Amino acid sequence: MIGPYVFAAAAVALVTGLLWLFRASFSIQVIALIYLLPVVLSARLWGLGPGILGALGAFLCLNYFFLPPYLSFSVSEPQNLVALIVFLVIAVVISQLLGQDMQNLASVTAREREATELYELSVALTGLLDQQSITQILAKKICETFFADKVEVVVNGVPQAVSHACNDDNKLLPPKPDLVAGLASVRGQSGKVHVWRQKVPLSESEKKLLSTFTSQGALALERAGLMQNENRAQVLEESDRLKSALLSSVSHELRTPLSTIKASISSLRSQAISLDPEARRDLEAAIEEETDHLNQLVGNLLDMSRIETGSLKPQRRWNTLAEIAAGVVKKMGQAVQRHRIILDIPASFPLVPVDYVLMEQVFVNLISNSVKYAPPETDVTIRARLQGDQDALVQVINQGPHVPEEYLERIFDKFYRVTAADKITGTGLGLSICKGIIEAHGGRIWAENAPGCFIFNFTLPLTWEGALPQVPKEE
Amino acid sequence: MEPHILVIDDEPQILRALRTILTAKQFRVTTASRGGEGLTLAAAQQPDLVILDLSLPDMDGVVVCERLREWTQVPIIVLSVRDGERDKVTALDKGADDYLTKPFGIEELLARIRVALKHSAQAQGAPNPVILAGPITIDLARHVVTRDGEEVKLTATEFKLVAYLAGHADRVLTHQAILNNVWGSADIDHTEYLRVYIGQLRKKLEANPDQPRYLLTEPGVGYRLLTDV
Repeated sequence: MIGPYVFAAAAVALVTGLLWLFRASFSIQVIALIYLLPVVLSARLWGLGPGILGALGAFLCLNYFFLPPYLSFSVSEPQNLVALIVFLVIAVVISQLLGQDMQNLASVTAREREATELYELSVALTGLLDQQSITQILAKKICETFFADKVEVVVNGVPQAVSHACNDDNKLLPPKPDLVAGLASVRGQSGKVHVWRQKVPLSESEKKLLSTFTSQGALALERAGLMQNENRAQVLEESDRLKSALLSSVSHELRTPLSTIKASISSLRSQAISLDPEARRDLEAAIEEETDHLNQLVGNLLDMSRIETGSLKPQRRWNTLAEIAAGVVKKMGQAVQRHRIILDIPASFPLVPVDYVLMEQVFVNLISNSVKYAPPETDVTIRARLQGDQDALVQVINQGPHVPEEYLERIFDKFYRVTAADKITGTGLGLSICKGIIEAHGGRIWAENAPGCFIFNFTLPLTWEGALPQVPKEE
Repeated sequence: MEPHILVIDDEPQILRALRTILTAKQFRVTTASRGGEGLTLAAAQQPDLVILDLSLPDMDGVVVCERLREWTQVPIIVLSVRDGERDKVTALDKGADDYLTKPFGIEELLARIRVALKHSAQAQGAPNPVILAGPITIDLARHVVTRDGEEVKLTATEFKLVAYLAGHADRVLTHQAILNNVWGSADIDHTEYLRVYIGQLRKKLEANPDQPRYLLTEPGVGYRLLTDV
């Protein structure tokens, strides 16, 4: 802060020296005019104070060196005294005018900068909805704007984000911050911003700017909190809705096979009903079929809850699709007896990285959906083809009725059913589980109406972590 | 004397059903509803076979399995509602011979019991060097595999694989166990080797490789060679 005054004094001294060398060549009026130069220069370059200092210095030097009697502060001629005073007045007035101008300019520039910083901060905070990134941005911006050594944002006593100066020379900072600013917020979130700045303490205007920054940050945090609560409420409402849909669907769905089993068992045990051997076999078959059906239902419910809670993690291994599909067809036994199941998977089809048990579930659900809607004695084809060299395309093709185009996507939604629930049984879970499983494998599933048939398509990546299977060759 | 089966399961309905069915099938049946009780009965009565549930009130079925294996080679068939691959693999690694997921068909259970009893009877006699599975014969001593009487050319690895399966015929062998024994411990994660070589074996040995009857897949767990009982 001393610098400008020294420069002003030096400018006056320099001019004095030069004038002293050429004092014979200039009249006193010219010398006085020349002395105005360092004064104007000081005021313009370094502001009001140095300008005034320059004016006083010029006044004294002019008097001391160039007004007779020389090398003395006394003034012999009255007119010279008048000239000297006029000089002083002019010099001071010029300094003042220029200096004020400078100050105005400086404060305008500073305000402009503050406005820019603030604008940048609010732009950076816009759209951020999680506390972590908001506090991170806040700390970073404060650190940049105030040239701080370190900024830490603390929410509810827990440090959330720290930002260090970019030219961090790893100097040791005291544990206690140089300044603590409150992160005021309406809804009980007590936050604080800790600022370390070792070189110069923050000025009043900087503190004011800092508090604007923190209130911006607090607003953003507040907004994020509100959004989160709203989301949570929505999620809760949604899961409530799902639960009641699940309960009504499941209880209906569980009762259907249970009633078949109960009716069959009670007639088999009844003394009053006499059954011929074929009728007995039918009833027994029905019991077994319905038990399998119940078991499949429970499996679907478990998978659904795993998908819902995000705990469905495929245990990938290299598998052959043909083996999985053939195993499923064999396992489904009686359930697919009324249809012809055709496996169309080339023998040379590559291995796919999938979870065997989950893929079984996908095939079970797609096939049982197909045989449920397709007329008896028709074909259900399971076909696998390569799609490019990155994906396998698997199709389950049945000759069932078309689904209106507008519902093609919705059939993969939970509990969504195109037909009325009392016509064909089903929870509306099977396809949404397929979707969850396929997507967990990084694939895509969709349905399409084709001439004469209805097709479920899904893709599966052929690579696992970017690699194809490596099998050592021999002989 | 009829074979003696010990059933350890905490669900009384399952115990009742199994006791009724197995007794009707000419087995002698003892039941236990807790793991500790099961272990005591196994030691006192020396059953010919143990059917074990994994969820027991006092200890995990896997622990029961381990304890039994400390002193006996009695065949153990695990029955469980847990159908995760990991549960099956753990139980098999801890010494179970077979695994059935509840609900199960009784025919399936009886078949597994027959196989397990046959093998434990064989284990007491001399090991059988020739294994028969339908049209397939695997001669472990002479390193010859035939199908319908004709010799089938196998590569060295293919023979090693089929020999390992035949040496533990009718038992569920986990991927890891097979890979470890055929390829070595460095390759126990390479199930893709197994998929490829089992595929090749099926092409050479099965009438319909897509619907294998002898080289069976245990979904997510491993493989089993089904032999003539």
